[in-house]
Amino acid sequence: MMRKSPMKQESRQPISGVDFEQYFQPKSLKKALEIKAEYQDQIEVAAGSTDLLVANYEKLHEIKNWLDLDKLDELRKIEVKDNKLHIGAMATHLQLMKSDLVKEKLAVLAAAAEDVGSPQIRSRGTIGGNICTSSPAGDLLAPLLSYEASFKLQSAETERIVAAEKFFTGPKRNLMEADELLTEIIIPLTENEREGTWIKVGRRKALVISTLTLSVVLEFEADKIVKAGVAMGSVAPTPIRLGEVEEMMLGRKMAELDYKKLGQEVKARINPIDDLRGTKEYREDVAVDVMVRALNEIERKKGGAADADNINS
Amino acid sequence: MQITLTVNGDKRELEVTPYTRLLDLLREDLGLTGVKEGCGKGECGACTVIMNGELVASCLVPAPQADQAEILTIEGLGTRDDLHPIQESFVEAGAVQCGFCIPGMVLAGKRLLDENPKPTEKEVRYGLSGNICRCTGYTKIIDAVMLAADKLAVEGSGSNDRSE
Repeated sequence: MMRKSPMKQESRQPISGVDFEQYFQPKSLKKALEIKAEYQDQIEVAAGSTDLLVANYEKLHEIKNWLDLDKLDELRKIEVKDNKLHIGAMATHLQLMKSDLVKEKLAVLAAAAEDVGSPQIRSRGTIGGNICTSSPAGDLLAPLLSYEASFKLQSAETERIVAAEKFFTGPKRNLMEADELLTEIIIPLTENEREGTWIKVGRRKALVISTLTLSVVLEFEADKIVKAGVAMGSVAPTPIRLGEVEEMMLGRKMAELDYKKLGQEVKARINPIDDLRGTKEYREDVAVDVMVRALNEIERKKGGAADADNINS
Repeated sequence: MQITLTVNGDKRELEVTPYTRLLDLLREDLGLTGVKEGCGKGECGACTVIMNGELVASCLVPAPQADQAEILTIEGLGTRDDLHPIQESFVEAGAVQCGFCIPGMVLAGKRLLDENPKPTEKEVRYGLSGNICRCTGYTKIIDAVMLAADKLAVEGSGSNDRSE
């Protein structure tokens, strides 16, 4: 069968006489925000382009206006300010998984970044792109919920901070306005002991859209859980945080938790669908198992840490 | 619109459109057909090149995002008469079947060995995880990268021996 490839035909047409005034590659955020203010939702925002080019495969020439953020190096920084980690929206998955700051302070986010796509995708795809695409299967989204991240949304005139939990409103939908750009991800840090786990379930290890993801981050004071972040992807129309399950864990030590029961509580609070990556039933069953596995892993990591302390002292 | 980039050491100035992908630019404008188009959706790795030191799927890079970039394609790694040690290793390990995935595999291997000259087999698998071989010849491809690591290690340690 002949494969039709309209994009290629189009791209072979002579390009003399065509000027691409509608491709903007601003060098400052200020300029980018001005362009967004002018074009609103009539412009396609390109970050790493790894989703954009897949979604528009063979019809790229139909995109009339481009706002390419690739030259905004000011949005690629990862730094600590006021006991919060600030991650620029254009930081790539590769940057996240290599960053000592992220690995040390937000190990679960670093682990999720390491599981995104493939080396080729991680070098281009950005955290901001992952968030703004707002797929329920976006790999970084459950960890961001677990860490209680918030997002800085800027327009030419205004700036607001929105909690990750409020940001996602449906599959590929979020509450960004047409004149806004996501510029920064802000994550509170803590002095408390923090342990966490990231589990991604998919049909392959690489280049797979998640069937289900789980991110668990627990904060301890004197071995008691004082804060919990349990979040999942691909089990509801948006990535979700399971606040009720978190509450059941608060004030307790790991040894006092009934892992299997917590797994059942997770299952009771998700609302997955049947799709080509897995059935509803499969996802519900796996949700129980991954919760148990996550808690076992945290127990092991915590035990390991305690042993290491004993050896040192 | 015009972009400037360095491809295999040569500086090039090119007229591109926003919907020219780096893949199209390399194959059609520069004739570097070692870069293959497989899926066109970043899943197969056949179009892999090294851009500013990192692996990219050239089918997912709009040409304007390659402005000012440094690109290495398989053509820049070695020639038929002067193979790069990784290419030699692929030949010696018998890692090439139909060959379509090999340019991407070799470049993914190079990127891995640049960063991690003595990888474990697991690390090689992770380094090549964005590249699919439809002949399913993974075992020998992984052997080839491991062999290349040994070759490069010998070459690196015995740099005085090269004149002999």
